[in-house]
Amino acid sequence: MSHHFSDYESDQSRLYNINHHEDINSNESKAKVKNILKITLWLSLITIVEVAMGLFCHYNHVPKTIPNIAFIIMTLLKAWLIVAVFMHLGDEIKNMILTVLVPLVLFVWFIIAFLWEGSYWIWINNYFGIR
Amino acid sequence: MDTAVIEKKKMWGGGRSPFNLSYGKVMMWYFLLSDAFTFGAFLISYGATRFASSVWPDSNEVFASFPFFAPHGGAPMAFVSLMTFILILSSVTMVLAVHAGHCRDKSSVIKWLLWTIIGGTAFLGCQAWEWTHLHHQGAWWGSFRTDANGVIAHGQSLKDFFAHNIPADVATGIAGADAAHKFFNYFFTITGFHGFHVTTGVVLLIIVLLNTINGTYEKRGHYEMVEKIGLYWHFVDLVWVFVFTCFYLL
Repeated sequence: MSHHFSDYESDQSRLYNINHHEDINSNESKAKVKNILKITLWLSLITIVEVAMGLFCHYNHVPKTIPNIAFIIMTLLKAWLIVAVFMHLGDEIKNMILTVLVPLVLFVWFIIAFLWEGSYWIWINNYFGIR
Repeated sequence: MDTAVIEKKKMWGGGRSPFNLSYGKVMMWYFLLSDAFTFGAFLISYGATRFASSVWPDSNEVFASFPFFAPHGGAPMAFVSLMTFILILSSVTMVLAVHAGHCRDKSSVIKWLLWTIIGGTAFLGCQAWEWTHLHHQGAWWGSFRTDANGVIAHGQSLKDFFAHNIPADVATGIAGADAAHKFFNYFFTITGFHGFHVTTGVVLLIIVLLNTINGTYEKRGHYEMVEKIGLYWHFVDLVWVFVFTCFYLL
Protein backbone atom coordinates (compact mmCIF):
# COMPACT_ATOMS: atom_id res chain seq x y z
CA MET A 1 0.00 0.00 0.00
CA SER A 2 1.49 3.29 -1.07
CA HIS A 3 -0.23 5.38 1.57
CA HIS A 4 1.61 5.72 4.86
CA PHE A 5 -0.54 4.94 7.89
CA SER A 6 0.21 6.39 11.32
CA ASP A 7 -0.31 4.08 14.31
CA TYR A 8 -3.70 5.61 14.89
CA GLU A 9 -4.84 5.09 11.36
CA SER A 10 -3.54 1.57 11.12
CA ASP A 11 -5.60 0.69 14.18
CA GLN A 12 -8.65 1.97 12.31
CA SER A 13 -7.79 -0.04 9.25
CA ARG A 14 -8.16 -3.23 11.28
CA LEU A 15 -11.75 -2.28 12.02
CA TYR A 16 -12.50 -1.11 8.49
CA ASN A 17 -11.78 -3.40 5.61
CA ILE A 18 -10.18 -0.91 3.28
CA ASN A 19 -10.54 -3.07 0.22
CA HIS A 20 -14.15 -4.09 0.74
CA HIS A 21 -16.95 -1.64 1.37
CA GLU A 22 -20.67 -1.57 0.78
CA ASP A 23 -22.02 -0.68 -2.61
CA ILE A 24 -24.46 2.22 -2.32
CA ASN A 25 -26.63 0.76 -5.10
CA SER A 26 -26.81 -2.73 -3.57
CA ASN A 27 -30.07 -4.11 -2.23
CA GLU A 28 -28.59 -4.22 1.28
CA SER A 29 -27.72 -0.54 1.10
CA LYS A 30 -31.17 0.35 -0.22
CA ALA A 31 -32.80 -1.63 2.60
CA LYS A 32 -30.75 0.35 5.13
CA VAL A 33 -31.81 3.68 3.61
CA LYS A 34 -35.42 2.50 3.64
CA ASN A 35 -35.09 1.67 7.35
CA ILE A 36 -33.65 5.16 8.02
CA LEU A 37 -36.64 6.75 6.27
CA LYS A 38 -39.02 4.52 8.24
CA ILE A 39 -37.49 5.71 11.54
CA THR A 40 -37.75 9.32 10.29
CA LEU A 41 -41.44 8.79 9.69
CA TRP A 42 -41.87 7.41 13.21
CA LEU A 43 -39.96 10.32 14.81
CA SER A 44 -42.11 12.81 12.87
CA LEU A 45 -45.35 11.01 13.71
CA ILE A 46 -44.57 10.87 17.44
CA THR A 47 -43.71 14.59 17.42
CA ILE A 48 -46.96 15.42 15.61
CA VAL A 49 -48.97 13.37 18.13
CA GLU A 50 -47.18 15.14 21.02
CA VAL A 51 -47.94 18.61 19.63
CA ALA A 52 -51.55 17.67 18.82
CA MET A 53 -52.08 16.34 22.35
CA GLY A 54 -50.49 19.45 23.86
CA LEU A 55 -52.70 21.78 21.81
CA PHE A 56 -55.82 19.72 22.53
CA CYS A 57 -55.18 19.97 26.28
CA HIS A 58 -54.45 23.71 25.93
CA TYR A 59 -57.62 24.63 24.06
CA ASN A 60 -59.93 22.29 25.99
CA HIS A 61 -58.43 23.03 29.42
CA VAL A 62 -57.69 19.35 30.08
CA PRO A 63 -55.57 18.72 33.21
CA LYS A 64 -52.16 17.56 32.05
CA THR A 65 -51.41 14.84 34.63
CA ILE A 66 -52.12 11.87 32.37
CA PRO A 67 -50.93 13.53 29.12
CA ASN A 68 -47.63 14.28 30.88
CA ILE A 69 -47.04 10.57 31.45
CA ALA A 70 -47.73 9.98 27.75
CA PHE A 71 -45.31 12.80 26.82
CA ILE A 72 -42.54 11.22 28.88
CA ILE A 73 -43.15 7.77 27.36
CA MET A 74 -43.14 9.20 23.81
CA THR A 75 -39.96 11.17 24.55
CA LEU A 76 -38.18 8.03 25.75
CA LEU A 77 -39.41 6.20 22.66
CA LYS A 78 -37.94 8.90 20.39
CA ALA A 79 -34.68 8.83 22.37
CA TRP A 80 -34.49 5.06 21.96
CA LEU A 81 -35.04 5.29 18.18
CA ILE A 82 -32.34 7.96 17.80
CA VAL A 83 -29.76 6.15 19.96
CA ALA A 84 -30.40 2.60 18.74
CA VAL A 85 -30.82 3.29 15.02
CA PHE A 86 -29.34 6.68 14.09
CA MET A 87 -26.37 6.38 16.45
CA HIS A 88 -26.06 2.64 15.67
CA LEU A 89 -25.69 1.75 19.36
CA GLY A 90 -27.94 -1.24 18.68
CA ASP A 91 -25.25 -2.60 16.33
CA GLU A 92 -22.41 -2.43 18.88
CA ILE A 93 -21.38 -5.37 21.07
CA LYS A 94 -23.17 -5.86 24.37
CA ASN A 95 -20.33 -4.73 26.65
CA MET A 96 -20.04 -1.43 24.79
CA ILE A 97 -23.80 -0.85 25.03
CA LEU A 98 -23.71 -1.55 28.78
CA THR A 99 -20.86 0.91 29.46
CA VAL A 100 -23.02 3.66 27.93
CA LEU A 101 -26.41 2.66 29.37
CA VAL A 102 -25.56 1.53 32.91
CA PRO A 103 -24.28 4.96 34.12
CA LEU A 104 -27.57 6.48 32.93
CA VAL A 105 -29.31 4.56 35.74
CA LEU A 106 -28.01 7.35 38.02
CA PHE A 107 -30.66 9.57 36.44
CA VAL A 108 -33.37 7.58 38.23
CA TRP A 109 -32.04 8.66 41.62
CA PHE A 110 -31.14 12.10 40.31
CA ILE A 111 -34.69 12.86 39.13
CA ILE A 112 -36.47 11.43 42.18
CA ALA A 113 -34.16 13.20 44.66
CA PHE A 114 -34.36 16.65 43.10
CA LEU A 115 -38.09 16.68 42.38
CA TRP A 116 -38.64 15.46 45.95
CA GLU A 117 -36.48 18.34 47.15
CA GLY A 118 -38.49 20.81 45.04
CA SER A 119 -41.73 19.58 46.60
CA TYR A 120 -40.18 19.98 50.04
CA TRP A 121 -39.18 23.60 49.36
CA ILE A 122 -42.72 24.61 48.42
CA TRP A 123 -44.12 22.73 51.41
CA ILE A 124 -41.73 24.40 53.88
CA ASN A 125 -42.35 27.83 52.30
CA ASN A 126 -46.09 27.37 52.65
CA TYR A 127 -45.64 26.05 56.19
CA PHE A 128 -43.82 29.20 57.30
CA GLY A 129 -46.07 31.43 55.20
CA ILE A 130 -43.39 32.53 52.74
CA ARG A 131 -45.39 33.31 49.59
CA MET B 1 -14.71 -23.36 29.31
CA ASP B 2 -11.07 -23.38 28.18
CA THR B 3 -11.93 -21.91 24.85
CA ALA B 4 -13.96 -19.20 26.60
CA VAL B 5 -10.92 -18.26 28.71
CA ILE B 6 -8.69 -18.17 25.64
CA GLU B 7 -11.26 -16.06 23.82
CA LYS B 8 -11.38 -13.66 26.73
CA LYS B 9 -7.60 -13.39 26.90
CA LYS B 10 -7.48 -12.67 23.21
CA MET B 11 -10.21 -10.08 23.55
CA TRP B 12 -8.36 -8.07 26.21
CA GLY B 13 -4.83 -9.20 25.29
CA GLY B 14 -4.05 -6.06 23.35
CA GLY B 15 -3.60 -5.56 19.65
CA ARG B 16 -7.31 -5.19 19.03
CA SER B 17 -10.25 -3.20 20.26
CA PRO B 18 -12.17 -5.20 22.90
CA PHE B 19 -15.33 -3.27 22.01
CA ASN B 20 -14.71 -3.81 18.30
CA LEU B 21 -14.83 -0.03 18.07
CA SER B 22 -12.09 2.50 17.36
CA TYR B 23 -10.63 4.63 20.13
CA GLY B 24 -12.14 7.78 18.66
CA LYS B 25 -15.66 6.41 18.60
CA VAL B 26 -15.44 4.97 22.12
CA MET B 27 -14.22 8.33 23.42
CA MET B 28 -16.96 10.20 21.55
CA TRP B 29 -19.54 7.96 23.24
CA TYR B 30 -18.07 8.66 26.70
CA PHE B 31 -17.88 12.38 25.99
CA LEU B 32 -21.55 12.33 24.99
CA LEU B 33 -22.36 10.34 28.15
CA SER B 34 -20.75 13.06 30.27
CA ASP B 35 -22.52 15.75 28.26
CA ALA B 36 -25.82 13.95 28.88
CA PHE B 37 -25.25 14.44 32.60
CA THR B 38 -24.56 18.16 32.09
CA PHE B 39 -27.80 18.64 30.19
CA GLY B 40 -29.58 16.31 32.62
CA ALA B 41 -28.41 18.45 35.56
CA PHE B 42 -29.77 21.57 33.85
CA LEU B 43 -33.15 20.04 33.08
CA ILE B 44 -33.52 18.40 36.50
CA SER B 45 -32.75 21.66 38.32
CA TYR B 46 -35.38 23.28 36.08
CA GLY B 47 -37.79 20.56 37.23
CA ALA B 48 -36.90 21.02 40.91
CA THR B 49 -37.45 24.81 40.64
CA ARG B 50 -40.76 24.25 38.91
CA PHE B 51 -41.86 21.81 41.61
CA ALA B 52 -40.94 24.45 44.21
CA SER B 53 -43.01 27.21 42.56
CA SER B 54 -46.69 27.81 43.26
CA VAL B 55 -47.27 29.19 39.73
CA TRP B 56 -45.34 28.64 36.48
CA PRO B 57 -45.53 30.28 33.03
CA ASP B 58 -47.62 28.38 30.47
CA SER B 59 -45.51 27.39 27.43
CA ASN B 60 -48.58 27.69 25.18
CA GLU B 61 -48.79 31.38 26.13
CA VAL B 62 -45.04 32.12 26.12
CA PHE B 63 -44.21 30.43 22.81
CA ALA B 64 -47.19 31.43 20.66
CA SER B 65 -45.56 33.52 17.92
CA PHE B 66 -44.57 32.60 14.39
CA PRO B 67 -42.50 34.89 12.15
CA PHE B 68 -44.58 36.66 9.45
CA PHE B 69 -47.74 34.59 10.09
CA ALA B 70 -48.37 35.25 13.78
CA PRO B 71 -45.70 37.69 15.04
CA HIS B 72 -47.82 38.76 18.01
CA GLY B 73 -48.97 35.36 19.24
CA GLY B 74 -51.98 33.21 18.55
CA ALA B 75 -50.09 30.20 17.16
CA PRO B 76 -49.01 28.21 20.21
CA MET B 77 -46.33 25.55 19.66
CA ALA B 78 -46.24 26.10 15.89
CA PHE B 79 -42.77 27.61 15.58
CA VAL B 80 -41.08 25.21 17.99
CA SER B 81 -42.66 22.29 16.12
CA LEU B 82 -41.05 23.59 12.94
CA MET B 83 -37.69 23.87 14.72
CA THR B 84 -38.02 20.33 16.04
CA PHE B 85 -38.86 19.05 12.58
CA ILE B 86 -35.84 20.85 11.05
CA LEU B 87 -33.54 19.23 13.62
CA ILE B 88 -35.03 15.76 13.04
CA LEU B 89 -34.52 16.17 9.28
CA SER B 90 -30.91 17.30 9.75
CA SER B 91 -30.38 14.16 11.84
CA VAL B 92 -31.72 12.09 8.95
CA THR B 93 -29.43 13.73 6.39
CA MET B 94 -26.57 13.10 8.84
CA VAL B 95 -27.31 9.38 9.10
CA LEU B 96 -27.49 9.27 5.29
CA ALA B 97 -24.03 10.90 5.14
CA VAL B 98 -22.70 8.23 7.52
CA HIS B 99 -24.26 5.54 5.32
CA ALA B 100 -22.69 7.07 2.20
CA GLY B 101 -19.35 7.04 4.07
CA HIS B 102 -19.73 3.30 4.72
CA CYS B 103 -20.18 2.90 0.97
CA ARG B 104 -17.13 5.14 0.27
CA ASP B 105 -19.37 7.27 -1.94
CA LYS B 106 -17.62 10.64 -1.77
CA SER B 107 -20.16 12.73 -3.71
CA SER B 108 -23.09 11.43 -1.61
CA VAL B 109 -21.17 12.19 1.60
CA ILE B 110 -20.64 15.77 0.38
CA LYS B 111 -24.30 16.14 -0.61
CA TRP B 112 -25.70 14.90 2.72
CA LEU B 113 -23.16 16.81 4.82
CA LEU B 114 -24.20 19.99 2.99
CA TRP B 115 -27.88 19.33 3.73
CA THR B 116 -27.02 18.69 7.39
CA ILE B 117 -25.13 22.00 7.59
CA ILE B 118 -28.11 23.78 6.01
CA GLY B 119 -30.48 22.14 8.52
CA GLY B 120 -28.29 23.08 11.49
CA THR B 121 -27.98 26.66 10.28
CA ALA B 122 -31.75 26.89 9.71
CA PHE B 123 -32.34 25.67 13.26
CA LEU B 124 -29.93 28.30 14.64
CA GLY B 125 -31.72 30.98 12.60
CA CYS B 126 -35.05 29.94 14.15
CA GLN B 127 -33.48 29.97 17.60
CA ALA B 128 -32.12 33.48 16.98
CA TRP B 129 -35.59 34.68 15.93
CA GLU B 130 -37.23 33.20 19.01
CA TRP B 131 -34.63 34.70 21.36
CA THR B 132 -34.97 38.13 19.72
CA HIS B 133 -38.75 37.91 19.96
CA LEU B 134 -38.70 37.01 23.66
CA HIS B 135 -36.11 39.70 24.35
CA HIS B 136 -38.47 42.25 22.78
CA GLN B 137 -41.14 41.08 25.20
CA GLY B 138 -38.85 41.97 28.08
CA ALA B 139 -37.57 38.50 28.85
CA TRP B 140 -33.86 38.06 29.39
CA TRP B 141 -31.33 36.64 31.87
CA GLY B 142 -31.68 38.15 35.31
CA SER B 143 -33.05 41.51 34.17
CA PHE B 144 -36.75 40.93 34.42
CA ARG B 145 -38.24 44.22 35.60
CA THR B 146 -41.89 45.23 35.80
CA ASP B 147 -43.75 48.41 36.67
CA ALA B 148 -46.48 48.54 39.32
CA ASN B 149 -49.02 47.03 36.89
CA GLY B 150 -46.85 44.08 35.97
CA VAL B 151 -46.02 45.54 32.56
CA ILE B 152 -42.52 44.62 31.40
CA ALA B 153 -41.98 45.98 27.89
CA HIS B 154 -43.94 47.17 24.85
CA GLY B 155 -47.22 46.82 26.74
CA GLN B 156 -46.47 43.16 27.44
CA SER B 157 -47.85 42.17 30.81
CA LEU B 158 -46.48 39.41 32.97
CA LYS B 159 -49.99 38.00 32.88
CA ASP B 160 -49.55 37.17 29.18
CA PHE B 161 -47.02 34.48 30.11
CA PHE B 162 -49.45 32.60 32.36
CA ALA B 163 -52.54 30.48 31.74
CA HIS B 164 -55.82 32.40 31.74
CA ASN B 165 -57.06 30.79 34.95
CA ILE B 166 -54.17 32.28 36.97
CA PRO B 167 -55.55 35.43 38.73
CA ALA B 168 -53.99 38.69 37.51
CA ASP B 169 -52.77 39.69 40.97
CA VAL B 170 -50.91 36.37 41.32
CA ALA B 171 -49.38 36.52 37.82
CA THR B 172 -48.23 40.14 38.23
CA GLY B 173 -47.39 39.76 41.92
CA ILE B 174 -44.24 38.45 43.58
CA ALA B 175 -45.04 34.78 42.85
CA GLY B 176 -45.63 35.42 39.13
CA ALA B 177 -42.62 37.68 38.65
CA ASP B 178 -40.40 35.24 40.53
CA ALA B 179 -41.62 32.25 38.50
CA ALA B 180 -41.30 34.06 35.15
CA HIS B 181 -37.83 35.25 36.11
CA LYS B 182 -36.68 31.71 36.92
CA PHE B 183 -38.41 30.27 33.85
CA PHE B 184 -36.56 32.59 31.47
CA ASN B 185 -33.23 32.17 33.25
CA TYR B 186 -33.51 28.42 32.69
CA PHE B 187 -34.88 28.85 29.17
CA PHE B 188 -32.05 31.07 27.92
CA THR B 189 -29.37 29.05 29.74
CA ILE B 190 -30.52 25.63 28.52
CA THR B 191 -31.47 26.56 24.94
CA GLY B 192 -28.32 28.71 24.83
CA PHE B 193 -26.15 25.78 25.89
CA HIS B 194 -27.91 23.60 23.34
CA GLY B 195 -27.52 26.28 20.64
CA PHE B 196 -23.82 26.45 21.50
CA HIS B 197 -23.64 22.69 20.85
CA VAL B 198 -25.42 23.12 17.50
CA THR B 199 -23.03 25.94 16.55
CA THR B 200 -20.02 23.78 17.44
CA GLY B 201 -21.59 20.94 15.44
CA VAL B 202 -22.02 23.13 12.35
CA VAL B 203 -18.36 24.26 12.58
CA LEU B 204 -17.19 20.63 12.92
CA LEU B 205 -19.43 19.59 10.01
CA ILE B 206 -17.89 22.31 7.80
CA ILE B 207 -14.39 21.05 8.70
CA VAL B 208 -15.38 17.45 7.92
CA LEU B 209 -17.00 18.61 4.66
CA LEU B 210 -13.80 20.39 3.59
CA ASN B 211 -11.74 17.28 4.43
CA THR B 212 -14.16 15.14 2.41
CA ILE B 213 -13.90 17.49 -0.59
CA ASN B 214 -10.10 17.44 -0.28
CA GLY B 215 -10.17 13.64 -0.38
CA THR B 216 -8.58 13.23 3.07
CA TYR B 217 -10.88 10.34 4.04
CA GLU B 218 -10.65 8.74 0.61
CA LYS B 219 -6.85 8.57 1.09
CA ARG B 220 -7.27 7.31 4.66
CA GLY B 221 -9.46 4.51 3.34
CA HIS B 222 -12.49 5.13 5.57
CA TYR B 223 -14.95 7.87 6.52
CA GLU B 224 -14.84 7.28 10.27
CA MET B 225 -14.62 11.01 10.98
CA VAL B 226 -18.08 11.39 9.42
CA GLU B 227 -19.35 8.72 11.84
CA LYS B 228 -17.87 10.53 14.84
CA ILE B 229 -19.34 13.92 13.95
CA GLY B 230 -22.55 12.00 13.20
CA LEU B 231 -22.66 10.66 16.78
CA TYR B 232 -22.24 14.19 18.09
CA TRP B 233 -24.94 15.57 15.78
CA HIS B 234 -27.49 12.89 16.75
CA PHE B 235 -26.77 13.62 20.39
CA VAL B 236 -27.57 17.30 19.83
CA ASP B 237 -30.88 16.20 18.28
CA LEU B 238 -31.46 13.84 21.22
CA VAL B 239 -30.94 16.66 23.73
CA TRP B 240 -33.45 18.80 21.83
CA VAL B 241 -36.02 15.99 22.15
CA PHE B 242 -35.73 16.32 25.96
CA VAL B 243 -35.57 20.15 25.93
CA PHE B 244 -38.71 20.14 23.78
CA THR B 245 -40.52 17.88 26.24
CA CYS B 246 -39.45 19.74 29.39
CA PHE B 247 -39.98 23.32 28.17
CA TYR B 248 -42.82 23.03 25.68
CA LEU B 249 -44.89 19.94 26.48
CA LEU B 250 -44.87 19.22 30.22
